[in-house]
Amino acid sequence: MSALLADLARFGAERPALLWLLPLALLPLLAAPRRRAPFAALAAVPPDALSRGLAAALSAAGCLAVAGLVVGISGPYRAGERITQTGIGAEVSMLIDRSGSMNETFAGRQPSGAEESKAAASRRILGDFVGSRAHDLFAVTAFSTAPMLVLPMTDRHAAVRAAIAAIDRPGLDYTNVARGLALALGQFGAASGDASRVLLLVSDGAAVIDPRVQETLRAAFAKIRPNLYWLFLRTKGSPGIADRPAGEDTPQAAPERHLDLFFRSLGVPYRAFEAEGPEAVAAAIREIEGLERDPIPYVALRPRRDLTGWAYGSAAFGLALLLLAKLAEVDLARGQPAPAARGPERRMAA
Amino acid sequence: MSGEDEAAGEGTGADIVYLPRWRARGSHPGAHRGRDAGGPGTFKDQVSFLRLPDARRLDLRATLRDPFEGVHVRRFEARVAMEVWALVDLSASMRFRGLGDRMALAGALCESLAASATRIGDGFGLIACDSGIREELYRPATRRRAAASAAASRLGAAVPSGPSAAGLLAAAARIAGRPKLVFLVSDFRWPAPLMEQVFSGLAFHDLVPVLLADPAEAEALPDWGLIELEDLEGAGTRLVLMRPALRRRWLAREAERMAALGRLARRHGRAPFRLAAGFDPAALSRHLLGG
Repeated sequence: MSALLADLARFGAERPALLWLLPLALLPLLAAPRRRAPFAALAAVPPDALSRGLAAALSAAGCLAVAGLVVGISGPYRAGERITQTGIGAEVSMLIDRSGSMNETFAGRQPSGAEESKAAASRRILGDFVGSRAHDLFAVTAFSTAPMLVLPMTDRHAAVRAAIAAIDRPGLDYTNVARGLALALGQFGAASGDASRVLLLVSDGAAVIDPRVQETLRAAFAKIRPNLYWLFLRTKGSPGIADRPAGEDTPQAAPERHLDLFFRSLGVPYRAFEAEGPEAVAAAIREIEGLERDPIPYVALRPRRDLTGWAYGSAAFGLALLLLAKLAEVDLARGQPAPAARGPERRMAA
Repeated sequence: MSGEDEAAGEGTGADIVYLPRWRARGSHPGAHRGRDAGGPGTFKDQVSFLRLPDARRLDLRATLRDPFEGVHVRRFEARVAMEVWALVDLSASMRFRGLGDRMALAGALCESLAASATRIGDGFGLIACDSGIREELYRPATRRRAAASAAASRLGAAVPSGPSAAGLLAAAARIAGRPKLVFLVSDFRWPAPLMEQVFSGLAFHDLVPVLLADPAEAEALPDWGLIELEDLEGAGTRLVLMRPALRRRWLAREAERMAALGRLARRHGRAPFRLAAGFDPAALSRHLLGG
């Protein structure tokens, strides 16, 4: 009952004062605009259920027509609402590197001819990933020196694809992964408890994370507990995640290795994929896609809906019925010629 | 009679020819065979001179033939006048107009009756009733031709409005007395008890029910279509979807009503005369002479 009331409460009208005209819809019950044939006695007409039903239907059609017109004029709508639904998928927060080196190919050159930059390859592959499952929620964050919030958590995959399509724009400056991570973590909503959460970091390099910031990040990871995937687009010849530097093993000398170590120390499920070409990137993405299969509650925003068309449509339906009835009207004794006057009487035999 | 010669087929010009079922009583000389003897009529019987001492009508042949030598006198029937009454139902259902106009038909019938009756010296009286007697239309029986036809034309212009025809009972009481020829003009859309009461109230007279019908009520109904019927006597409106099956049922119902009316009318004397879509005095004459 309360659910029904809540449903009803969502309906509204732009000019509610006009709804006071609604009692006019009862007028067809009082009189019908049909031609009336005066008749001597209705008792002469055999009772007929079909005619009675038709009369009721035409009254109803009249009421519907008037009510539809009044409601249509008043501008009805159903208010927008947020609906929580459950699907298979994950909340995916993408953190994408926009540093200048992303514009280079995996070979470390400016792309020429058929070659694809790292940004273009990840754009293509991530774009496919976004379309593949209906109920994934995505947030897109980019970072270089400063993090950029590109798209908050949403299930509008077209918008997500558009955001991803924009990541092969020429990149900027350097890699500041710490603030990017903080913003990407902030993209996860507070509410959804059991949803599987994925933080997907796409970068082609790493940077030192300030120890002071490290504590803040640890706290944030502990609170949100996302599955962390690091898709490391490794340029040929550059140090990998596992490579120990030749000299002193400091974060400054081997930022990738130390970022990996930092991630391992967070205590959240973590995997790093080291990709040295577009195929490797695609394989890594497929693997992530296979891992993240959990029911997820997601909020769909149903927009406000204009119901004027429905109102006018029902009015038109009622009017069409009435029009048909009007066209079907006949007179008593239709089509019968008046009886001709009789010819002169013959003489009667007395 | 004279009406047959003039029967040219146009409405009120022709006379209605009628014969009462009985020998008329009364003393006014007129056109009908009376019950009593004494007059220039046809031969009735012979009586003894002592009973009717009228030497002018001595029947010599009968007197000579009588072995007891009684003297016989011829008697002749009296020709007397009678009264013709029209009792017209003015309930609202008489306002119905289909292919014809009921009140126009009733008016034409009454004018023709008035002319036919006064022409041969009979009196014509008219009572119009709805739920009571409409006194402004009441015309006691008169032999004056002008007065009779004025009453009939007043009737033609009257507007029926009453909810019922119960005034006919009062009209039956008003014309009680000598038997009269009574034309009961109505569409007979009455409740059954009233029908019975009116017919038995008028049973003493020679009663001719004239049923005002209209093809639009029955045989001229359309096969298909929507009709919104409005009851003239205030029983509301009803939407009817005409179709062949309903039309058949409708006609069967009408036929049943006609049959019931016919049975009732014949029990009280004559079969009803159906007047629809045009008044023809010759047809009424045939009905009256034949029935």
